[in-house]
Amino acid sequence: MQGGSSGIGYGLKYQARCISDVKADTDHTSFITGTLSLREENEVHLIRLSSGGTELICEGLFSHPNEIWDLASCPFDQRIFSTVFSTGESYGAAIWQIPELYGQLNSPQLEQIASLDAHVGKINCVLWWPSGRHDKLISIDDENLLLWSLDCLKKVAQVQSKESAGMLHYLSSGAWDPHDVNAVAATCESSVQFWDLRTMKKANSIEHAHIRKANYDVKKKHMLVTAEDESGIHVWDLRKPKIPVKELPGHMHWTWAVTCNPEYDGLILSAGTDSTVNLWLAPTSASDESTSGSIAESPTQQADPLLNSYSDYEDSVYGLAWSSREPWIFASLSYDGRVVVESIKPFLSRK
Amino acid sequence: MGTDDVPLDDKAKRMRDLLSSFYSPDPSSTPNVSSKHGALDAINTNSFNADQYMNLLVQKSNLEALLQRHVEMAAEIKNLDTDLQMLVYENYNKFISATDAIKRMKSNIVGMEANMEQLLDKIMSVQSRSDGVNTSLFEKREHIEKLHRTRNLLRKVQFIYDLPARLGKCIKSEAYADAVKFYTGAMPIFKAYGDSSFQDCKRASEEAVAIIVKNLQRKLFSDSESIQARAEAAVLLKQLDFPVDSLKAKLLQKLEQSLGDLQLKTDELENVTVESTDPSKQGKVSDSIRSTPHEASVREFAEAICAYRVIFPDSEKQLITLAQDLVIKHFEMTEQYVKRRISSANLLGVLRTIWTDVLLMDEILCEAVLPDFSLEAAQVAVKQYVASTFTHLLQDISDALLKVNISPKEAAEEFPLQVALEASKKAVLQGSMDVLLDFRQLLDDDLGLLVKLRDFIIDWVQEGFQDFFRALDDRFLLLSGKNNSSSQDNGLTEGTQSEKVLAGLVLVLAQLSVFIEQTAIPRITEEIAASFSGGGVRGYENGPAFVPGEICRIFRSAGEKLLHHYINMSTQRVSTLLRKRFTTPNWVKHKEPREVHMFVDLFLQELEAVGSEVKQILPQGLLRKHRRSDSNGSTTSSRSNPLRDDKMSRSNTHRGRSQLLETHLAKLFKQKVEIFTKVEYTQESVVTTIVKLCLKSLQEFVRLQTFNRSGFQQIQLDIQFLRTPLKETVEDEAAIDFLLDEVIVAASERCLDPIPLEPPILDRLIQAKLAKSKEQNPIAS
Repeated sequence: MQGGSSGIGYGLKYQARCISDVKADTDHTSFITGTLSLREENEVHLIRLSSGGTELICEGLFSHPNEIWDLASCPFDQRIFSTVFSTGESYGAAIWQIPELYGQLNSPQLEQIASLDAHVGKINCVLWWPSGRHDKLISIDDENLLLWSLDCLKKVAQVQSKESAGMLHYLSSGAWDPHDVNAVAATCESSVQFWDLRTMKKANSIEHAHIRKANYDVKKKHMLVTAEDESGIHVWDLRKPKIPVKELPGHMHWTWAVTCNPEYDGLILSAGTDSTVNLWLAPTSASDESTSGSIAESPTQQADPLLNSYSDYEDSVYGLAWSSREPWIFASLSYDGRVVVESIKPFLSRK
Repeated sequence: MGTDDVPLDDKAKRMRDLLSSFYSPDPSSTPNVSSKHGALDAINTNSFNADQYMNLLVQKSNLEALLQRHVEMAAEIKNLDTDLQMLVYENYNKFISATDAIKRMKSNIVGMEANMEQLLDKIMSVQSRSDGVNTSLFEKREHIEKLHRTRNLLRKVQFIYDLPARLGKCIKSEAYADAVKFYTGAMPIFKAYGDSSFQDCKRASEEAVAIIVKNLQRKLFSDSESIQARAEAAVLLKQLDFPVDSLKAKLLQKLEQSLGDLQLKTDELENVTVESTDPSKQGKVSDSIRSTPHEASVREFAEAICAYRVIFPDSEKQLITLAQDLVIKHFEMTEQYVKRRISSANLLGVLRTIWTDVLLMDEILCEAVLPDFSLEAAQVAVKQYVASTFTHLLQDISDALLKVNISPKEAAEEFPLQVALEASKKAVLQGSMDVLLDFRQLLDDDLGLLVKLRDFIIDWVQEGFQDFFRALDDRFLLLSGKNNSSSQDNGLTEGTQSEKVLAGLVLVLAQLSVFIEQTAIPRITEEIAASFSGGGVRGYENGPAFVPGEICRIFRSAGEKLLHHYINMSTQRVSTLLRKRFTTPNWVKHKEPREVHMFVDLFLQELEAVGSEVKQILPQGLLRKHRRSDSNGSTTSSRSNPLRDDKMSRSNTHRGRSQLLETHLAKLFKQKVEIFTKVEYTQESVVTTIVKLCLKSLQEFVRLQTFNRSGFQQIQLDIQFLRTPLKETVEDEAAIDFLLDEVIVAASERCLDPIPLEPPILDRLIQAKLAKSKEQNPIAS
């Protein structure tokens, strides 16, 4: 179960929290990541997996004015990405473009397309339209949900609508439903809230404490995976928000991030503050049969859902991303700034 | 015709054919066929054409053959001649002998006619004499016959006139059989002349018969009469054309009624046994004494059935159902009875009475196969008994456990958890032992019913234990509020339950699981092996029903799960505390630290509560320092650089870019410190794990914030204060030190201006806090 052997490492200079798959890059498997350093000059790294899959190459290194708390790659343009950053005292969010000839420039500067500057409190994340070219963006801060309309050419972003989550609901993160582009899930302290973007109203919610991250199953509609601080990972069927469909033990300490594989059904990756990344196999077999089938089987079928635990990390792992180009590859980022790219191919056969 | 039977050669055969054709009645039939084809064979047929034959012969044969033929033919002709001669002689001989025989017959017949005439004469004379006798006796005989007939008639009339009187006499002497015989004898006459000449007579005798019928009925229903008498009465009534079926039904009803009475008595008896049987032996004695009235009534019932059977011989079917009803009712009662809490002795008492009843009934009514019938019923009852016993045991244990929920209110008990643990331990072990002992009584008893069920009982007990422990495991999970989310019904109640569940209870459950795995199961296995081995009614391929290995595994994993659940619950409480602490203030605008923040007190209080819970339940571990081998492979580790104070002072100078490199380098040389080690069932291990998890949470919370210098200093102060009390409570000082340092490192990394407090100021503030808490403590206590 020692995961260290297969991983390909890449070191960032400073601590870091976020890594994102560059979805729009169809020729290479690449990831983008940014550092989190309060007092140093922060960097954004564009990393590419070499064609042999044995090496991580730094494709681009750009300086970023502030420490990066959240980073997301644009799904339709590989050169565009968003960051949420903090100056220490205040927060900001912006859309950046990597300069076209970045390979040739000596110290390339990121070009800011737009600043999402309608926020007051602590900004938590920026969500891109799930797939394809679209001008919609969502940014979530502690109290509000903002829908932006972005024009890349004119380099402006305008607030389309804004809704407050209500008193005492501190939003922490969110996810855009890939099956229903009008639905966004936002996690807050005591629940996951589902927003309808057409009306900007709360449509539904899952009452469950301390959810840190939520992730939609790309392959299956209505399935949402959540990571909680203490109680591990839950798989929900949104049509039955009362009880989780499945429960996974999670990590020794908090489960920080969780993400479903974009291709292989039931493969879930989770990262925790116990310095491990766990690969789970939790087939949620289309909810209709799961109600009858899995319950009947579950007492007998006690197979360990944990496929592998990658434990070769020095610090808490906060960043996690599947590659959408090669869905058996994922990148993880631990707090000490180490990117590790692993292949789960050895475990696919077990499915 | 062919008289010669000797085997024939060709020639002789032809000869015979020729002769036969000569004698044959229809000579034309055979030659017709052959004549058409002029062949050499045609020589033997009637239509033999000599010329044709010659022509054919000449044409077909050469000279030599012709010559030969000639010779042959000459010989044949000669033969034929001699044969013919022989035949003529023979016939002539026969004719001569026939004439001789006819001549002899003629001479013999001559004297016969005279003899015949003589015979005729004699017969005629005999006939005439007998006619004379007949005519002379005829008149007298007729007279005698008439007289005889009259006399018979008169006698019958006499009998009928006498009948009422005679019947009366019979009634007086109770000779009902005679009476019935007389009456039935007179019946045809009454039928024929009853309306005319013998009217009075008939009425009188009918009255008498009515009395007889009444008497007979009374006799039939009176229990004091002997069975034979009653049976006779029934037969007589039947002869009198009395509707016996209604009587039968009535009597059956009576029997059923008495069955009902019998049932009531059983119930009383049970009540009696419940009260009277404490020590099993005495119980048995008192059983036998007490059951006598019951037994007597059953005996009576049996006799009644026996009588009934004699009286109505064709009523077996009804009686069988009746007897089975009795058994069914008995067992229904038993099943009701079993639902209450009873000991085996009580059950035995009941079963024993039932069995004696059954045996009694069986003697009388063996067609009902009552023993088999009751065996089946007993099987159900005993099985139910086993099941209900286990249910009660389960209830006992959970009751013992749930006392924890109540007892905290009663401050009188100092260690509610410990009490609960001891109580539930006792409930499990003692309860199981009692149950086994109880079942052993069932096994050891030599009651015929149970002997046959022994194998079944053994299997049931084994199965019962297996199911019981599974159910117990489920119950534990239910009590701990950590339901299988897969079972959706429970899932609905989960939310409400988990709030009610006390962390202490979870800990008790965890320890109880360990106890069951390590102590209770081996004991029970031993006990089962000693007295409940065998069985084997189940297929052997299934193995024994009770699989201690499996149960142990279940409880080991349950214990671990529960322990983790306990740790989780405790950590969660602290976590909420920490979350509030770190999300509420604006750390970037924090004011200078004046005192240790009060969350530290709350944190320590929580730990203390955990400590006191743990102390009650878990054993003390060996006091030792952290060893690396304690961590198992699957747990993960985190190594880092525990920055000592001296390093801290260095870090307040500008560290620049080399800071991370420095920590990385330091990590390489530092011994790996394991944070997430395997939890053991000791006080220290559990507390240490909880503290570690809490500190890790603290670190994570710190990492999410940005601090100004004062905020950082506040954290530094709080952590510094925590250092001493935490080390006291925890076995793995190195790890705690490391984690506390990590918190400070995290804070300094997240600080805009990380200048730590000067050690003297730190000391002063900590001393002030200590003094303050000392001041408060006496008041509090």
